[in-house]
Amino acid sequence: MENETPFQPAETPAAPTAAFTPRTDLAQLTARTEAVRQQIGQVIVGQHDLLELLLTALLADGHVLLEGVPGVAKTLTAKLLARTLAVPFSRIQFTPDLMPADVLGTSIFRPAQGDFEFRPGPIFASVVLIDEINRAPAKTQSALFEVMEERTVTQDGTAHRMATPFVVLATQNPVEQEGTYRLPEAQLDRFLFKLNVGYPTLAEEIRILQGHHSGFGGTPLDKVQAVLSAPDLAALRQQVSQQRVEANVLEYIAKIVGQTRAHKALYLGASPRASIALLNGAKALAALRGRDFVTPEDVQFLAAPVLRHRIMLTPEREMEGGTADEVVAQIVQSVEVPR
Amino acid sequence: MLGSLVLSAQFAVGAAAPPPTPPAAQAPAPDRAATVRLRQPAAATERLRELASQREFDYRQSLADSNPQDSLLRRFWRRVLNWLRDSLGGPSAPSYEGFWRWVIYGLLATAVVFVVLKLLEVDLTRAFGRAPRRATLDYETLSENIHELDFPTQLRAAEDAGNFRLAVRLGYLALLKQLSDRALIEWQPDKTNQAYLRELASQRPALRPAFAEATRQFEYVWYGELPLPPALYATVRAEQVALGRQLGGAILTG
Repeated sequence: MENETPFQPAETPAAPTAAFTPRTDLAQLTARTEAVRQQIGQVIVGQHDLLELLLTALLADGHVLLEGVPGVAKTLTAKLLARTLAVPFSRIQFTPDLMPADVLGTSIFRPAQGDFEFRPGPIFASVVLIDEINRAPAKTQSALFEVMEERTVTQDGTAHRMATPFVVLATQNPVEQEGTYRLPEAQLDRFLFKLNVGYPTLAEEIRILQGHHSGFGGTPLDKVQAVLSAPDLAALRQQVSQQRVEANVLEYIAKIVGQTRAHKALYLGASPRASIALLNGAKALAALRGRDFVTPEDVQFLAAPVLRHRIMLTPEREMEGGTADEVVAQIVQSVEVPR
Repeated sequence: MLGSLVLSAQFAVGAAAPPPTPPAAQAPAPDRAATVRLRQPAAATERLRELASQREFDYRQSLADSNPQDSLLRRFWRRVLNWLRDSLGGPSAPSYEGFWRWVIYGLLATAVVFVVLKLLEVDLTRAFGRAPRRATLDYETLSENIHELDFPTQLRAAEDAGNFRLAVRLGYLALLKQLSDRALIEWQPDKTNQAYLRELASQRPALRPAFAEATRQFEYVWYGELPLPPALYATVRAEQVALGRQLGGAILTG
């Protein structure tokens, strides 16, 4: 049965490509983020997904936890990203004897004035690199709860606002390694993404060796220039916040996160904060990929980085050698893509 | 028990110990055709049972090798048991009882292992060193099944209602169905459009550009909520139909 409709196909259909372009001008966003990529790409070999996810987090106003074994350029990547931004940067090396005041700051008594003066700690910067975050105990980790979520530090009854942007880039070694602590769930939940930094491929490693052999390895950070200012980043974030998200895609996000609370292999599911993180991340990723709307593809791509650190496996599943990424993949597989 | 204990008649008679027959002067010729009923006294039977139950003796069922009255199945099992006995070096007289007992033991052991593994929620597919089987979504849980949709009717209804957004969606779903029917993609409700695009590119690279464009249009209209005037819809529809014809399925998309 031929489907006779008023819209019979033309023999040679005209290409409607021009109509199917973003209604929001994403040219600035594309140009700025491409400049950041190029700067970092001068030093970092490969790691394209990692770079895309770091930029996504930057546009989504989220903090990032980078996990990997020593020597895979976690810290270097974070420092390079910070260097591409023309904003104040600080670095804190977390150690087992670090105290909350060493991070947040402390009030000093001024004898001349007879009062206390707040001396801000290293957390007061726009981009804060916390190196080896899981080498400090829970007491120090707890000091980050307020500042990471609310962007304020309250000391002696006074709330000190952080500058905008405020991004925490933290690195950690896998928890199985010596001298590390498991981060509290409440703190993990405050990271938009947890990114696993893996080993380079053979070809990438050869390129790394070639670069170092030709004298590149001395001061790689000097090559990188700041290409994104704080006002520029604020404008890009504003654009990202206006991305379109169709109702079925919203429901898709909610279903995926909701499944983490019912999965039999999980002891702890993801919170609504995870849903919001997935939504914000997907909006930023869609913009980075040149679209002004979110697709289920964006959601699926970000499901593991958003959820892997927010869920806890049951002891039985852990003993079987299961991983959070496997469970997330199962969950994504169990939810129908809206179409 | 499939047989009876067999002892020699001589032994049975000896056990009963009948009195000796006095010699006759002229013994008549034996009548070979006549039958003689041997009566086994109850005491002898009891004695036999008592002997059979003693551990020093090992009485087994005697299985004739060829009994024409045996069924085919019975002979088959006998041969299997004989083969098992020879292979395993077991006792010389196998029995059905022993065989079935071991079968039952085996089944019970398997059931116990299965229950324990289920209780521990062990994924058995991992035990064989292969990737866990991909779970297939139950179609009943789906909001709709593309293999059951009446595309021509629904498409016409959407067009008549001026709901071009829905019409583009239905046209795209019809394309997916055609691709699935021709085994160019493996339809799974959890797969994204880009996943299908990659599958098609590996199966039929020539179709990739047209399907990529159809996918882009669908995504802009459906996920991007792009307003679609009739003229633009006609062009989009034309591209869908053209691709459908390339796939050899003008009925669904035309």
